[in-house]
Amino acid sequence: MENKPSDREWKKGSAELLILSLVEARPRHGYDISKLIEQRSRGTLRFHAASLYPLLYRLEKRGWVQGRWVEKSGQRRRRYYRLTPQGRKILASQRRGWQVFVKAINRITEVEHA
Amino acid sequence: MPDWKEEITQQLAGSKLPPAREAEIVEEVAQHLEDRFCELLAGGATEEKARRTALEEISADKLLARGLERLEHQATQEPVVLGAREKKNVLAGLWQDTRYGLRTLAKNPGVTAVAVTTLALGIGLNTVIFSMVNGLLLRPPHVRHPEQIYTLAAEGNTGGDTFSYQNFQDIKKQTSALFSDMAGVQAFSVTGLSVGGKSERMWTNFVSGDFFEMLGIRPALGRFILPAEGRVAGADPVLVLGYSFWKAHFGGDPSIVGKKALVNGRPVNIVGVAPEGFRPVSTILDTQGYMPLGMAAVDNQAMSDFLNDRQNRCLVLIARVKPGVTEREIQPTLEVIAKRLAGEYPKADDWRTLKAYPLSPIGPNPRAVHSLAVLAALFLTMASIVLILACVNVTSILLARATVRRREIAIRAALGATRGRLIWHLLIESFLLALLGCMGGILLGLAGSRVVSSLPLPTAIPIIMDFSFDWRVFAYAFAVALLAAVIAGIAPALRASGVNLNVFLHEGGRTLSSSGDRLRKILVMSQVGGSVMLLIVAGLFLRSLLKVQRSDLGFDPQHLLNITLDPQLAGYDQEAAQQFVKTALERVRAFPGVQSASLAATVPMGDDSMEDSLEVEGFVSSPGQQAPSAGYNVISPGYFETLHIPLLFGREFLETDTQNSMRMAVINQAMAERFWHGLDPLGKQFRRKEDPNHPLGVVGVVRNSRTDDLYSPMEPYFYMALAQKPLLPVTLQVRTAGDPESMAHEIVATIKFLDPAMPLADVQSMTEALDSPNRLLLFQLGAGLAAAMGIVGLILALIGVYGVVSYTATQQTREIGIRLALGARPGQILRMIFRQGVLVVVPGTIAGVLAAFAIARLAGGFLVGVTPTDPLTYAGVVLMLAMVALAASYIPARRATKVDPMVALRYE
Repeated sequence: MENKPSDREWKKGSAELLILSLVEARPRHGYDISKLIEQRSRGTLRFHAASLYPLLYRLEKRGWVQGRWVEKSGQRRRRYYRLTPQGRKILASQRRGWQVFVKAINRITEVEHA
Repeated sequence: MPDWKEEITQQLAGSKLPPAREAEIVEEVAQHLEDRFCELLAGGATEEKARRTALEEISADKLLARGLERLEHQATQEPVVLGAREKKNVLAGLWQDTRYGLRTLAKNPGVTAVAVTTLALGIGLNTVIFSMVNGLLLRPPHVRHPEQIYTLAAEGNTGGDTFSYQNFQDIKKQTSALFSDMAGVQAFSVTGLSVGGKSERMWTNFVSGDFFEMLGIRPALGRFILPAEGRVAGADPVLVLGYSFWKAHFGGDPSIVGKKALVNGRPVNIVGVAPEGFRPVSTILDTQGYMPLGMAAVDNQAMSDFLNDRQNRCLVLIARVKPGVTEREIQPTLEVIAKRLAGEYPKADDWRTLKAYPLSPIGPNPRAVHSLAVLAALFLTMASIVLILACVNVTSILLARATVRRREIAIRAALGATRGRLIWHLLIESFLLALLGCMGGILLGLAGSRVVSSLPLPTAIPIIMDFSFDWRVFAYAFAVALLAAVIAGIAPALRASGVNLNVFLHEGGRTLSSSGDRLRKILVMSQVGGSVMLLIVAGLFLRSLLKVQRSDLGFDPQHLLNITLDPQLAGYDQEAAQQFVKTALERVRAFPGVQSASLAATVPMGDDSMEDSLEVEGFVSSPGQQAPSAGYNVISPGYFETLHIPLLFGREFLETDTQNSMRMAVINQAMAERFWHGLDPLGKQFRRKEDPNHPLGVVGVVRNSRTDDLYSPMEPYFYMALAQKPLLPVTLQVRTAGDPESMAHEIVATIKFLDPAMPLADVQSMTEALDSPNRLLLFQLGAGLAAAMGIVGLILALIGVYGVVSYTATQQTREIGIRLALGARPGQILRMIFRQGVLVVVPGTIAGVLAAFAIARLAGGFLVGVTPTDPLTYAGVVLMLAMVALAASYIPARRATKVDPMVALRYE
């Protein structure tokens, strides 16, 4: 499916936060992450491989997530990403920032409508 | 199933990922596509449709390839996280910026070379000056815990800072709570050393027995003088050689220890060699031998009773403070002791107070330290001005380059580089320049200080100029380089990083922002000012030197030969020695070509001088004033004729004046005026403190002449007859008809004919002798250094003026073209450009003159015959600089008039 331009802008700002949140509870592989984003946003947000993997590698390079090849019996090996302690700190602060940001936006837009 | 890996590999072609990394990515993304493919199939898509959809998701806009490429090849631009503190990987960034900076510098080798050379000059000059200051003032003496060593000075008395042996014993006893140890030194006597029939002059320190133990050092060979030695006159005839003297005169032969030698004809045992670099008494004068204090008493007639004579103050006292005793605790105790001793011995110990100073490298003389410190401050200030001038030049270069690089910087800013990052990056470039300059500067500095250290000195005094580099000098050079980097780099970095892409693109990169122009002009103005200041100080020193060289000596140094004789060094006893000297004088007088000859104990401007306190008949010094004193010389008949000193009244000494006649003196004009206020001094009497039982009657008055230095006001001076006060060594002075140096050989041969073993020291013409260090050398050195700095400053300023004018001319090429096309005459264009130079040079010169007024005060104490505000020097420098600077701006201005209007109009 095609992204609308406005979609793209939203995703840019929030993509890191989304990925960090998804690997917070347990390690996940790339395809898993993209499926979860799509499902939990009920199809509003989608990441294709072309934008997802550069993003994952960037997070990995910064040391926020760590990727590891895992082989399970009867399956091909897959690369699982898990949150590092540093990533956990970033996630916490990004969450706070995001909530502040959303609240601020809400307050402004609600006043407009009131 | 499609071959996903093949497809992805094609997508990534050209992104130049490391092969291993690429394989991993391909594998991971291929799995993703396969999962997606299966999902699409499960959703009911055909195989072909599912394959196409999956592939489109990675190939659209080459998103994957571009994203990876950026990630793998570019610096991690840390994003600003919402709500998070900004954090940087400083080291990685530094390394990256350093590499980038090196590449940028390497791309512009010409600019880099000019900037580095300029900085190297500035840093090198600073390093040389600092290495001298370090060698003279900062480097601690090579002794154990140098910070615990103090030197004692008696203040407010007539006898200088020195103490008698009895003082030494009393003070040592009474300060045992403060000092763990105290030693007395009778510094620098000239003795004659002869080993195996070979005679040399040896500059000797007579030291008390605990001297070496107190300083806590180990001998290079053998042993030192022991604490128990030297308390009795003539006992313990032992000698410790100085290290460099041992190396130079005995070839470092270790078997010298244990050998017998003669010092002034008396047998001594050589017991040891002092360690290398051990110079606690002075960093400048080299001690060639150490002997026990008691040996000084047998060595010299005047010293024979110094161990008991309270009046004979000849010792410098050095002490080691006890651990835990602070400087503040020392002073009150010393004051109590000073009062007590002054009360007990009011005549001998007539001091106001005693003071303790930390032992400075220059030696135990606090006054010398002070004046050297002022001189050091002056020269370090001048050197820093040269450095600032160099920095300003580099700033100009970097500013010009910043203008050229505005496109690059604007684009980097547009790509997201923050201003701080851009400034940091540009500063790194100037740091690299400064580091390269620092290396060059250290090399220049090493060469320079080697030149200064090895300057040949026209003197028999063993002067050591050890300005070798140690960690202090390197640290200083490095600090100077860092400072230079900041001074030179900060303005260009701030300016360049402030470029706005929008503005830049609209300007088309053509126009020059007027504030940059202003900054550049202010920089060059300050350069002109700085170099005016340096040149004025250099000019003042040069004028002093000229004044001193041309000053009226009061005697005629031309055609005068000096030969110093001391038959005692060859083992003659007193009487035989006098006889030898007398015979030698007669032979020389009879020599063809010799107009006259005479003997004297000291030579004007020589290394030795004599002075005594006086009691003058009918003269009472006003309260608070020092007791009267005067310098003197002891001479033979014929002295005034030989030196061409005119006799004004009375008579000079005659051959008929002997030990049995009444003691007499010839005085100079200054003495006649000081003590007898213009009344007839002939027949008046005065007494010397040293010999109060034999009053001296004035028999003649001679013209004032220079005795100790070339610049102080004329002081009272008198002459005694050698026949009445026999002294050795003496200097035979010969006035020759022709060139004295060409006759020197024959005259020396005449004396050697009397005794081939006679050591003859200081055979030199009077004009040569005048170049000795305490006379002209300081002026020459000062003037030389100041002139070097002035010239470097001038060159830097000229480069600056030339640069700013030619830069303006280039910037205005288009305007010039239009003006020429509209009919302007070349003369008008010349004036227009030339004006730029004038506008920079005139205010700069005015500022420089004002600054010079301030700094020349520091130099004031070292100037002779010129005031720090000498109008001739100021006017000369201003005129010279104005001419040269205007010439530097004339060249580019002239070039501007040759612009072809057509070419200029096309110029962008």
